[in-house]
Amino acid sequence: MLVKQLEELAIETKDLSLRYGSVLAVDHVSFSVRNGEVFGFLGPNGAGKTTTIRMLTTLLRPTSGKATVLGFDVATEGGKIRPRIGVVQQDLSYEHALTVEANLDLYGVLWDVPKRERKERIELLLDKFGLKEVRKTAPPELSMGQRRRLQVAREFMHDSELMFLDEPTTGLDPQARRVTLDFVREKVRNGATVFFTTHIMEEAEYICDRIAVINHGRILALDTIDNVKQKFGGISVIHLRFAEKREGLELELQGLPGVQKILHGEQNGESLRVFAEDANAALPRIIELTTDLGVHIAELKVEEPSLDDVFVEMINSKGKKES
Amino acid sequence: MNSFLRLLYRDLKASLWSTKSMLAVQFVTPLFYIFVAGFAYASLIPPQTVGNRQINYVLFLAPGIVVMQIMFAASMAGAMLWLDKRLAMFTQIIVGPFSRWQYILSKLVSIMLQGMLNAFLVFLIASPVLVGLTVSPEGVLYIVGSLLLGALFFGSLTLAISIFIKSNEAFNATLNVLFTPLMFLSSVYYKLDKVPVIIKTISYANPLTYAADMLRAGLLQDYAPSLPLEIIALIVESIFAFIVATIAFRRVKP
Repeated sequence: MLVKQLEELAIETKDLSLRYGSVLAVDHVSFSVRNGEVFGFLGPNGAGKTTTIRMLTTLLRPTSGKATVLGFDVATEGGKIRPRIGVVQQDLSYEHALTVEANLDLYGVLWDVPKRERKERIELLLDKFGLKEVRKTAPPELSMGQRRRLQVAREFMHDSELMFLDEPTTGLDPQARRVTLDFVREKVRNGATVFFTTHIMEEAEYICDRIAVINHGRILALDTIDNVKQKFGGISVIHLRFAEKREGLELELQGLPGVQKILHGEQNGESLRVFAEDANAALPRIIELTTDLGVHIAELKVEEPSLDDVFVEMINSKGKKES
Repeated sequence: MNSFLRLLYRDLKASLWSTKSMLAVQFVTPLFYIFVAGFAYASLIPPQTVGNRQINYVLFLAPGIVVMQIMFAASMAGAMLWLDKRLAMFTQIIVGPFSRWQYILSKLVSIMLQGMLNAFLVFLIASPVLVGLTVSPEGVLYIVGSLLLGALFFGSLTLAISIFIKSNEAFNATLNVLFTPLMFLSSVYYKLDKVPVIIKTISYANPLTYAADMLRAGLLQDYAPSLPLEIIALIVESIFAFIVATIAFRRVKP
């Protein structure tokens, strides 16, 4: 049973820490990533995301704690891990004197991809990542976004069981970002596992199965996106528009249990925004009250907190507690 | 293909290609030394006795210039590491299926191969001044040995320097400061038996002297009595420089 469980984990860390001098960049981090999932590692700049990736990809040796990647210890078995992973670094990297096509081909050579397969993959990637027109151009003449696309595409020249993507969409326009995320998703459908760092919450919502939120080297939350929102989301906003104006309604609503505050909407007097801790509990009470008062609700909309809201709330509240 | 060979292929294709203008300079410069400076000085300097025969100054100078070019070419090893660090390719490679050991070795071997090719082309173009020379199989061993050991020593030296020095400008300045005395305090331009004692003493501590003497031995059958000692010293110093570069390389942070 234990063996089966271990086999299902692509990454497992226990109290993983890394200290740079007096700074604890990663502070006793514990999490696991299952095979075949996209695991989002979210956090603001300087939170410890890249340092964690560098430990997991065997570039940095942990100061303490333990981490296994594909069942191998990152501190002692790096040579067994590296041939099975793919890494897109946050820093742009490329062979600056070679064309886009030659960059892809050379990377395929480095990973020992047979010539025929390299050719096929190059055509596919040039097409998917919109690089066909610049295939004979060297990176210094490309835009920042094109260089980033080349860097991400390059990592798909070889098959890896586990991919570490460190903010891979930085500098990409929305369309290129979507193409990249879709391509990653496709790889996951074909069996790959992805460890994905970002501070763009939209991206995480689009692609990740589970997320961990890290700040100041510590994990603040670790769960599915829905569960994280539920646990840490706090306030839902209920938008109400009434058929007619009714004096005193605002005060009556304010008195309902679970309602935190009320703001006027755009159509002052006829539209209200009710902030409630739990929309599911507050809604029946609101409807009961308005029915009793004979006020007709013309429009009702519940807005759940976005991951962005949750993220900001989590980082801010943790920051306040620490200060 | 073996992972080391794949890395070597990458160094030859990407890193050296990216510095092709420098390669062209390295190829053209020796031709000026041999065909312009060599012939100009030959009109002032009488024929030299090398071994048991008289040769003109151009023929004496040519092997020295080839060895000197090996020294300059070897500085590419440090430049290649600089470029890889700046473009994050160093990290990208060592996070792949390669070890640091393979990375540094591929740099040095690619420098050796490039140095050999460079020397071959210079010999080919300088062939008019080499007419009449016959090189024995033993001589070929001396020639190849001097080029390989020279590339290993100076490649390791520049790699180690590139690791300890923080900026590209400082790296280039250090090499200029270092290479100038190495060139003139050696047997590249002149025979050492008639130079002042202090220059002679310093020159005999210079690996460039050993490599130049070894190459002359192969090409001109000029076997100086001190040659066996010089060859041993060059082998020991090259291995030592390689070990220093390998140890220093551990400091490079990805």
